[in-house]
Amino acid sequence: MTPPPLRHRILTASLLTVAALYFLMPVYWLAVSATKNSADLFGTFGFWFADPHPVDHLTEVLAYDHGIYVRWFANSLLYAGAGAVCATLLSAAAGYALAKFPFPGREAVFTVVLAGVLVPGTALALPLYFLFSAMGLSDTYWAVLIPSTVSPFGVYLCRIYAAAAVPDSLLEAARIDGAGEARIFGGLGLRLMTPALVTVFLFQFVHIWNNYFLPLVMLSDSGLYPVQLGLTSWTGYADRQPVLYQYTVGGAFLSVVPLMVLMAVLQRYWRTGLTEGSVKA
Amino acid sequence: MTNSPVHRRTVLGGAAAFAAGWALAGCSDSGDGDAPRERAKGQKIQLTFWSWVPGIDKPVDLWNRKHPEVQVKVEKVSAVNGAQYAKMHAAIKAGNPPDLGQIEFPVLPGFLLDDGLLDLAPLGAARHKDKFVGWQWQQAVFGRSIYAVPQASGPMGLFVRQDLFDAWEVDTPRTWDEYEAAARAVRKKGAWIETFAPTNGNRFAGLAWQAGARWYATHDDTWIVHIDDEPTRRVADYWESLVARKLVKTIPDRQNAWYKDLQTGAIPAWVGASWGDALLAGNAPGTKGTWRAAPLPQWKAGEQAFANWGGSTTAVFAKARYPKDALDFAVWLNTAPESIALLIDGGYGFPSAKKGYATTDLDVDKDFFGGQAYSRVFAAAGAHVDTSWRWGPGVDTLYQRLGDAFTDALADGSSFRSALAAVQRQTLDDLKGKGLKVASGG
Amino acid sequence: MSRATPSRPEPAARKRARGAGGSGPRRPSRTRARHARAAAGFVLPFLALFGLCFLAPLGYALHQSLQKTERTGPLGLGREHESFAGLANYAQALSDDRFLAGFGRVLLFGAVQIPLMIVLATVLALLLESASARGIAFFRTAFFLPYGVPGVIASILWGFLYVPGISPLVKIADSLGLHVDFLSRGTVLWSLANIVTWQFTGYNMLVLIAQLKAVPGELYEAARIDGASARQVARYVKIPLIRPALVLTGVFSIIGTLQLFAEPMVLRPLASSIDSGYTPNLHAYSEAFVGNNPQVAAAEAVLLALVACALSFGFLRLAGGPAGERR
Repeated sequence: MTPPPLRHRILTASLLTVAALYFLMPVYWLAVSATKNSADLFGTFGFWFADPHPVDHLTEVLAYDHGIYVRWFANSLLYAGAGAVCATLLSAAAGYALAKFPFPGREAVFTVVLAGVLVPGTALALPLYFLFSAMGLSDTYWAVLIPSTVSPFGVYLCRIYAAAAVPDSLLEAARIDGAGEARIFGGLGLRLMTPALVTVFLFQFVHIWNNYFLPLVMLSDSGLYPVQLGLTSWTGYADRQPVLYQYTVGGAFLSVVPLMVLMAVLQRYWRTGLTEGSVKA
Repeated sequence: MTNSPVHRRTVLGGAAAFAAGWALAGCSDSGDGDAPRERAKGQKIQLTFWSWVPGIDKPVDLWNRKHPEVQVKVEKVSAVNGAQYAKMHAAIKAGNPPDLGQIEFPVLPGFLLDDGLLDLAPLGAARHKDKFVGWQWQQAVFGRSIYAVPQASGPMGLFVRQDLFDAWEVDTPRTWDEYEAAARAVRKKGAWIETFAPTNGNRFAGLAWQAGARWYATHDDTWIVHIDDEPTRRVADYWESLVARKLVKTIPDRQNAWYKDLQTGAIPAWVGASWGDALLAGNAPGTKGTWRAAPLPQWKAGEQAFANWGGSTTAVFAKARYPKDALDFAVWLNTAPESIALLIDGGYGFPSAKKGYATTDLDVDKDFFGGQAYSRVFAAAGAHVDTSWRWGPGVDTLYQRLGDAFTDALADGSSFRSALAAVQRQTLDDLKGKGLKVASGG
Repeated sequence: MSRATPSRPEPAARKRARGAGGSGPRRPSRTRARHARAAAGFVLPFLALFGLCFLAPLGYALHQSLQKTERTGPLGLGREHESFAGLANYAQALSDDRFLAGFGRVLLFGAVQIPLMIVLATVLALLLESASARGIAFFRTAFFLPYGVPGVIASILWGFLYVPGISPLVKIADSLGLHVDFLSRGTVLWSLANIVTWQFTGYNMLVLIAQLKAVPGELYEAARIDGASARQVARYVKIPLIRPALVLTGVFSIIGTLQLFAEPMVLRPLASSIDSGYTPNLHAYSEAFVGNNPQVAAAEAVLLALVACALSFGFLRLAGGPAGERR
């Protein structure tokens, strides 16, 4: 294959760079602002530093209110990590079954699941709160964890991927060899669906990490808050404690870092996994 | 879509979940499983207290140290967009509210609508009445029932940049006419004396209160609502003329752009309340030493009519299991001198207690005000607040309606009076929609 | 391909995959039952939680939307009970001008922002997947990063970037002689559109890339060998192949736009022109959480869901068939 002409490469690179500037600009602003105190936040030019003390400011963020930010961060990791893992497994199982086992009512189930996405989360939040209160689970870790394990979009993604990437012939062969369905799924299905699993995990992790409304309704003990809810609550007090503006910006900056790490780590699976799947299909 | 027959089991399963939710809705009124009780001697209990005041854990910690048997746990609920009240209502409905809650004056009647608060009168709360400023105690009294212990209020006043006013030779206005003249003078110098924030319903209510308005009253079983009464219209006309002549801005207050203007002197004054000291000091530290507090401008020279903006109470929820201890804590929190000192440190409001502190204790940001004992201004104002003002249910919605109506008026140029008339109509409908008997006061 | 399998059972397997209906050679019922049991085992855990977290609350909300509150205490305080109200809440919602205006607004918003965002996502996906791209991992991370900033924080950030006096963007524009006000009545809707575009383009782009990667590379090779230029490959091969993903992102964007809520809510204190019913979802939220009228809020949410349903299925029908079905 001949390498693409230079002008194509330049054009592509420039377009991509312009786009990157647009997407990264607020993140850059966030990084710069995390080094400023409240007065400078409002007073100085947003895109450049002003007497930066990043380590000092960020340490203050972590130490404020007996280190509640660290607790919130840990909570978010728990909700997003455990939630996304469970969601991925449940979605994979359901998607796999929907793709590979024809059963009556399959389409109805699928439609209902997708329709679940249509109802605004704000409408479900209060009723969900009452349900969980009746079960005695409100204001606990479960109140956020359990809803986090449900990902209709994950089911959709796993279904189409399983339909494309898991050949029936392989399943047949495994069955003929006497393997149970669970073992087939665990040993064969999951492995073939890896790129989709990674995608679902990533999306669900980010979704739970960002989710603000569900924890707002479910939780009143601020020790259980995820980091986004905590940061938002700080903005509510910022009127009377203006230093919280600064902490909110610093905290927001810190909360973006795990996602960057996650993206960097998962890139690998993306590249190899997805292309493999495509060749087989 | 395929035309496979929908499997009965699938549909039934889904319907079952659906129906379960439906049924739960029907029986959401929980029975009272936990009846209130007396604490036995030596029994250790824990009370939950929902608050959003940043410094409140300090007095609570002090109480906990002094009262090992009655421990109070503060849960800091998010105060963004009034979410804390939504949570309280939801918790009441779900049957698991906290024992105590921080509830602002205007919102109290709303909690009476869902039987959310405990009547403290049977517990002998009336004997604490004289510890508090009269009108603030009255705000929580409905008929013979007492529903909360007042904590703090927010007497209104005027903050001015004395340095700029001196440099521009503008006198600190004492009447609203003088204020208008000052606005013109300030405008000539390129600044704006104030911003009329259309969504700041709280402040507008305070100004109407000062002018003698009475938005809510009761007559037997009926709520009399009169949002567009004559004093309110007078206030609306006044600010409308300022806006029309471009003598004030219309940006929202207490947010970024406004803080920036305060810092640069583009806005050199603020009709605010006593708790504004911490706000100014914290968000415009660069202007330290230049601000002074002055009494709120009057409608007639020499009058002493003031109003309130903000302030809250400590209330006990209806399902509290140890109401007597809860009441004791609420009274201690708001009257004990050591508690008040810590509350003042936390920067929250003008104490409702009559005794237990000195006015000068409240001059926390004295340096910011160039050494002025500014709290005296607010103390004097607090003594002359019109005590016939009452709140009704649904004030949060009212503020929202006012905000929307003024926003619309600013956008399409319609009059503020028509905005008020629209809000009056909507408020009547809102309250009727809640199942109340209402009548228009006009 | 992997293990050799007899070719006979394959067509049968494919026929089974087409769904029940019962044509073609039947498998022994023993196996069918076994499959049904296995399927149940795989699907039930998800369905149980889905029922708990979606269907049950939905049922509750629907129930609530048909109720009203009556109060019989003195002055109406206390002693409340719910009674059946029929469609009164729906009637109230539909006669509320502000609620309807909110609908009009999000429809306008969607009509402009969704195509723009999807076009942008497609262009970026194609660029990243083209042979002339370098530094792909960096750019992919950069484009996806905004999705990791939650809606509320993103709005706070952009709030700082919009407010005149603080915003470096406004300062730069001023220095160039342009006076921009991002938060005025005429522009605030598009400022919100910008926040949403910024946040979700990368996410949509990744979905498109995943679909692009699922296509065998040989197809592109074949087109190249036939003499197609890069642009022609993109236009005539890649775009048609990612149609399912485009439809998917379209549907989810429609739903997301109709449910627009966090961004206007956060920007509201900063912009005088955003009212409490700026979007239908915000209106419902205000009814539930500020006005403490959960019944009307539930009715509004149901109306919103119905419109979302209608638009989504309408879009799917327009785009020609359900997305991602067997190809």
